[in-house]
Amino acid sequence: MIEEASQFVLVIVWALILAYFLGGYLTRLITGRPRMFETFLSRIERPVFRIMGIDPTRSMTWKEYLFALLSMNALVGVFSFVVLLAQGVLPLNPTGVPGTSPDLAFHTATSFATNTDLQHYAGEASLSLFSQLSLMVPMFIAPGTAIAAGIAFIRALPTSTGKIGNFYADLTRVVLTILLPVSIVVAILLNSQGVPQTLNGLLTTGSFEGASQTIPIGPVASWESIKMFGQNGGGFFGANSAHPFENPNGFTNLLEVIFLLAVPLAFPIAYGKVLGRGRGLAFLAVILVSFFLLFGFALLGGGAPIGQETRFQGFGSLLFQQSSIGANTGATNALLESLSHRATTSLFVLMFIQAVPGGAGAGFMTLVIYAILTLFLVGLIVGKTPEFIGIKISPRQVRLAVITFLVHPVLILIPTAIAFVYGHVQGILGTPTTPFGYTQALYEFTSAAANNGSDFLGTLANTPFWNIATGLVMVLGRYVPIGLMLAIAGEFSTQGARGTPEPIRTDGLPFTVTLFGLTFLLSALAFLPFLVIGPFVR
Amino acid sequence: MNLLRTHAKNGPRPDYRRALLDSLVKLNPLYLGKDSPVMLVVEAGFALVLAMGLAPGAFAGLVNQARWFYFVIAGILLLTVWFSTLSEAVSEAQGRARVDALRTLEKDVPARKIVGHSEVIVPSRHLDPGDVVRVNAGEFIPRDGVIKEGKAYIDESMMTGESIPSYKESGGHVIGGTKVATDSILVTIVAEAGKSYLDQMISLVENAKRPKSASEVSLTILLVGLTAIFLVVCSAFLFLADHLGLLIDLAILISLLVALMPTTIGGLLPAIGVAGIARVGEANVVAKSGKAVEAAGDVDILILDKTGTITEGQRTVKEFVPLKGYTKEEVGQAAYLASIYDQTPEGRSIIEVSKENGWVLPLTPRLLAGKSIDFSAENRVSGVELFVPRPGTLGIQELPTAPPEAAESRIWRLLLDLEVSARPAKVLKGAVDAILDLSPEVNEAELLWQAQEISKTGGTPIAVAVDRLVVGLINLRDNLKPHIREKLDAVRATGIKTVMVTGDAELTARVIAQEAGIDEVMAGAKPADKLVRVELEQKRGHVVGVEGDGTNDAPALAKADVGIAMNSGTSAAREAANMVDLDSDPAKILKVVEVGKQLLMTRGAITTFSVTNDIAKYFTLFPAVIPGNPAARLLDVMQLHSPVTAVLATMIFNAAIIPALIPLSLKGVKFRAEPMERTFVRNMAIYGLGGAVLPFLAIKAIDLLLALVIG
Repeated sequence: MIEEASQFVLVIVWALILAYFLGGYLTRLITGRPRMFETFLSRIERPVFRIMGIDPTRSMTWKEYLFALLSMNALVGVFSFVVLLAQGVLPLNPTGVPGTSPDLAFHTATSFATNTDLQHYAGEASLSLFSQLSLMVPMFIAPGTAIAAGIAFIRALPTSTGKIGNFYADLTRVVLTILLPVSIVVAILLNSQGVPQTLNGLLTTGSFEGASQTIPIGPVASWESIKMFGQNGGGFFGANSAHPFENPNGFTNLLEVIFLLAVPLAFPIAYGKVLGRGRGLAFLAVILVSFFLLFGFALLGGGAPIGQETRFQGFGSLLFQQSSIGANTGATNALLESLSHRATTSLFVLMFIQAVPGGAGAGFMTLVIYAILTLFLVGLIVGKTPEFIGIKISPRQVRLAVITFLVHPVLILIPTAIAFVYGHVQGILGTPTTPFGYTQALYEFTSAAANNGSDFLGTLANTPFWNIATGLVMVLGRYVPIGLMLAIAGEFSTQGARGTPEPIRTDGLPFTVTLFGLTFLLSALAFLPFLVIGPFVR
Repeated sequence: MNLLRTHAKNGPRPDYRRALLDSLVKLNPLYLGKDSPVMLVVEAGFALVLAMGLAPGAFAGLVNQARWFYFVIAGILLLTVWFSTLSEAVSEAQGRARVDALRTLEKDVPARKIVGHSEVIVPSRHLDPGDVVRVNAGEFIPRDGVIKEGKAYIDESMMTGESIPSYKESGGHVIGGTKVATDSILVTIVAEAGKSYLDQMISLVENAKRPKSASEVSLTILLVGLTAIFLVVCSAFLFLADHLGLLIDLAILISLLVALMPTTIGGLLPAIGVAGIARVGEANVVAKSGKAVEAAGDVDILILDKTGTITEGQRTVKEFVPLKGYTKEEVGQAAYLASIYDQTPEGRSIIEVSKENGWVLPLTPRLLAGKSIDFSAENRVSGVELFVPRPGTLGIQELPTAPPEAAESRIWRLLLDLEVSARPAKVLKGAVDAILDLSPEVNEAELLWQAQEISKTGGTPIAVAVDRLVVGLINLRDNLKPHIREKLDAVRATGIKTVMVTGDAELTARVIAQEAGIDEVMAGAKPADKLVRVELEQKRGHVVGVEGDGTNDAPALAKADVGIAMNSGTSAAREAANMVDLDSDPAKILKVVEVGKQLLMTRGAITTFSVTNDIAKYFTLFPAVIPGNPAARLLDVMQLHSPVTAVLATMIFNAAIIPALIPLSLKGVKFRAEPMERTFVRNMAIYGLGGAVLPFLAIKAIDLLLALVIG
């Protein structure tokens, strides 16, 4: 008990320490004030800007920013799609795997481009080393995109110029100065713990029985580091972080948890540094308290999952799952099937809310959406039109926030219903549908819509319907909210924050409690029935 | 009687029969679709459930209850919609009652039109601007105009509710439909037929059809959004449950949908808005739109005139301050002489105080024959210019004798000297610098110092001079209006900043501001400065409230988010403003702000209530949606009698809460002067937590009753 509690505290404290420094750095990127080692950093960035033909000082409107973001992501998606289709004829293919089916290529390409990393394949069996290496491009660009959008979002709040920054500059800086260096450090740490890092695809070794066996390996440490730090979550191997090469021991388990929480937690801190410490603390408090409560709820169902990995114990498994799914990373270090129904429910709720803490950048923006909805639902009660950071919330912003909120249940519930009506669930899980089968189908779309990536179905879902349906859900679940949130930011960016306190101060205890309550209430209202007939029944 | 106070005993009764009829007409789905999308969905639910009752066969697999159940549910759903249309119709009826009341004033009366030298009786509708009419005591003023000749007491109670007739004299504005109480006046008509003040008011009240304000639009979007989510949730659930082999009754699922939808706030939203306009009406303020009332709730800066709003506007003598070499008595005597022709309240106050103290000198012939110098913005002094006799025509005649105690007065001796010399001279009082310009032979430093001392106490220093000799100063003091301090403290408690505009000097203004509890002062301000200030604050993102009465206030009134014109003010001011205060009480703006806040608070409170209600409804209804399912037992903390009573109880509560909250929507949530944070916490406790708890208790109680009835 004590050991478990100290593990938990250790992880949170370290994640917060990392988040604090990252938050400070994000603040510099947001405000454009000189960073530590500014001359050195800009010397690295300048050639990249020159090659890409970017003027980093040219600030964009939200529409230009969104357009740049979408085109960049489309480019990366198409690149992955082509590589996967053609991997059979491309180099670095030691196991001689053929190109994937077009629908799987579509699914995987969108999955990685949207930072979801839902995998309907097992990496070691279906992908060449070249494909695995190529997928690391979206693994940097996808989190970089969300972090850049989050940066632009916060930047838009205090300005009144209508310009929210340069997407290419933001993305380049995030990738070059945050994602790459930290990933390298983490990769070295993981490598020191026995995570392989090699371009040889196969390891031939003697088995315990004396025969020889071939074990697929590869650049796992570098994959793993950006998988966690960038909230990607897709495994190099089909078993994901339950595979000993991805996550060899208790230390790497905690290390990975700390790094996957770092950037999401850095966002409220950066927001606090730009717009007032109290405001940042309020968001951070909502995130941490929700996270603790959901984790506690999961533990109540019996911490130890059946079939747990003995390397991590029940607690370590649960902590990993909870953090990974809470941060929309989606990496798993134990089979989801082995979790208690409370733990499963807790994971569902994390993906329904998507903001405690949610993926880097995206999670924070989602929390702001909840804040706007909360302010408008209850804010009139003080007798004044609600304001966020001192700016009156306009009808347009409310409309955008409502649609953003609406997108999530629509993208989960309607496709799930369609999958049942047209027999695609029954097609892979058999008839009659059990509550557990239903839970798996619901989870698949929830994970896709939340850009999470964890799933029950795995390779079972490698059918055209599931590949295309979840692929579309991932694309819509990613870019529609980002577009809407940037539009909200665009509206804020023309007004400029006022120093005056809001009618309902967004930095006090009353607001924090209300935001917490309404975040859960709104999610519960939309999803409770679906939990009751599924995960509850097990 | 006050026609704008609908609740007044003798006031017009709203036409409730028509309201009832309207509420039924409003059930038309086309109308609902435009006005109340939430209720449209409820009505669609009603149609569907009714169809299930009529033709259960068409809904095979989705109908599991006895037929009466569907009819009852359909009835409750229709009732829910009707309660909402009724609340809107009732509040509209109240608004109409006020218009009708105003209409009765707008009658055609015979007018005595002056043609040449005789009076011709013509119907008032035939009058044109420029016509002159005579109005005798007991007659109605045919249309808006200006008094050309005469003075009279005018009974304006039908407009303002003020029962004491107001005194008006030539140059004063009179309003058509009011009645001359005494005397007889000549009135020049200024308004065209159909464009009188009364007409404007009627069209204002009538057209208070309320273009939706930003916050109402936002709230509607939110409610539609929530409705859309629950529609998706319930229809997806229907499909999924079917595949899981759960037995779903469509009527119960529709009940869940309606219960979760924000029907309470959706149903009361129109009524709350109409009620806001009615409530400023009760305060005797005509709001040109509901928008302005709401904007009043958002005001964070109030720009107030000093005179009339914060102070009584009648300056009275606090004391006489002599300069070196003179006595108080002599200053009093000089001030008295300078004020003999002064009809302003200040002048009368000076005369009064001098008389009380016996500091009165007899008037000399030159004074008696003197000419009044009236105060004007250019000269900024007033007093008497002594009569200058033509040389030789006026020798020393019999001079009045001064009372023995005044015989020693230097002022008296000065007067005597002037009488003898017959040279031009003046007795003046006025602004210190103006007097200084006219009387160079004074100890300037002393005068300015004394003036400053007076300013420091919040008084206005008025210098008194007799023939270029400055005798001393009058400390004129404007008294604070009763209770203004409490009112302003209340305003400030809610986070509103107050700015006082005054032509007074900085020092004087500051003292008054401090006494009244004003945050900031614009001293030495010209009328145009008001507009500049309004624009500046708006640029900073503030919502600005302004009151005013003069034509030069009109631009600021028009520019401000909330502009309240005094009814006694010029028509330019009244036109520019978005509200008119019939009582002409400038402090009324504080009341309007309160009503605006109440309006928004009521909306927020009922929305919060509506949303937190849903928690209980899930617990009461959802087990009934999936009866027998093991998971349902998990949620069934309420232990209601049966699924049927659970659904009925929840739906009855859901419908009944709308009429139950009509009084709150019409009256508004209580406003308290306190920091908004405290309002937030308290109202969240009442309407948020209350909204979460109340339905549990109420639904359980209804369920127990139903269990007795149904058995």
